[in-house]
Amino acid sequence: MDYVGSRFPDFGPPGPPGRELTSAKIVVAGGFGVGKSTFIRSIIENDLLTMTALPPERAGLVTELVRIQFGRVWLDPGLALHLFVAPQWQDPRAGWNDVVRGAVGAVVLFDVMRPADSVDAMRYFEDHRIPYVLALNNVHASVRSDVKAIIHGMGIGRDVPVVNCDPRVRLSVRETLISLTEHAKLDRWRRRPGPDETTPLAPVC
Amino acid sequence: MSSAADAHRRRRRAQPPAEQTFADLMNGFSLDSGRKRARTSAPVPEREATPVVPQEVGVATFEPTVREPEDASIVRAYAWTGGRTRSNINLEIETLVSANDQSRQSAGILQAEHQHVVELCRSPRSVAEVAALMRLPLGVVKVLLGDMAERGLVDVHQTASAGGDTPDLGLMERVLSGLRRL
Repeated sequence: MDYVGSRFPDFGPPGPPGRELTSAKIVVAGGFGVGKSTFIRSIIENDLLTMTALPPERAGLVTELVRIQFGRVWLDPGLALHLFVAPQWQDPRAGWNDVVRGAVGAVVLFDVMRPADSVDAMRYFEDHRIPYVLALNNVHASVRSDVKAIIHGMGIGRDVPVVNCDPRVRLSVRETLISLTEHAKLDRWRRRPGPDETTPLAPVC
Repeated sequence: MSSAADAHRRRRRAQPPAEQTFADLMNGFSLDSGRKRARTSAPVPEREATPVVPQEVGVATFEPTVREPEDASIVRAYAWTGGRTRSNINLEIETLVSANDQSRQSAGILQAEHQHVVELCRSPRSVAEVAALMRLPLGVVKVLLGDMAERGLVDVHQTASAGGDTPDLGLMERVLSGLRRL
């Protein structure tokens, strides 16, 4: 066992001293086994970490620690982007609020074989007005338009971007995150047009 | 006769460790054991004080009346926080914290758990990372880091979305250009 030096893994480059540091986060949601961890692993610098959360109240309603997986990538020397796997239950006691509050937005991974969990997440983000994109995983090109029609037919996500994403491919993950951030930017601008904020360019359709 | 005296002596010898164990246990439950340790300021060996939190623990174990010794470590984790579950400083899970000059200078005299955080935060880390690497529940880490920030031991960096608001357009633009460079 060659266990020398720090007890903890070196986790990315430090920000240079004296520089303003800030952070942002994006939530990755979807059904069980749809590829949320793989998605995050494809883009971060180190391996996934697991954090545990406990509800502060002692009501005894949640009886287990909730494990939340996440990863981090430095986008520039002063900006750390965190990617969190959304806990399976959209329960404020299960650490969901901590994960979702203040996020840039969410990526909902969608597998045609198991649509229900993804739909739950989409409903949550719609209800809480959190911008999200729908990332279709493992959907053959020939049925993509059908899948989109079905999703829109359910009455959710009419102006939500639908992208194709292979969570194992770094470039695909990156493209999905770019789509999300562009969508979130537009959404943010539409909802709160401040006088001193610049007008973002609308995405080319 | 002598064997009875021996037995008595043995009993007496055996007693102090037993008392010690019980006292340790009680210390584990007392709410300000952390502060007591800080006053003596004896450098505590780090490894000994490394908290190991059982991974599957029910909420019920955090009731102050719990007596099971196996729960002492997680109770001790809450003892550092004085039993508090909220911090005065607003920390999001993605908020970055880093050790500063003051914490580096006072490295030798810090409480073991503060020392541990200072070591971790030599390069900036988020609250979530500190929680994951210290294997402590998020709530405990928030209070611990909040205390350290109030004492000036760690710098808390601005989180763009602090206060539950959505990030501003400037930050989104920065995220976007950062992603494009990846």
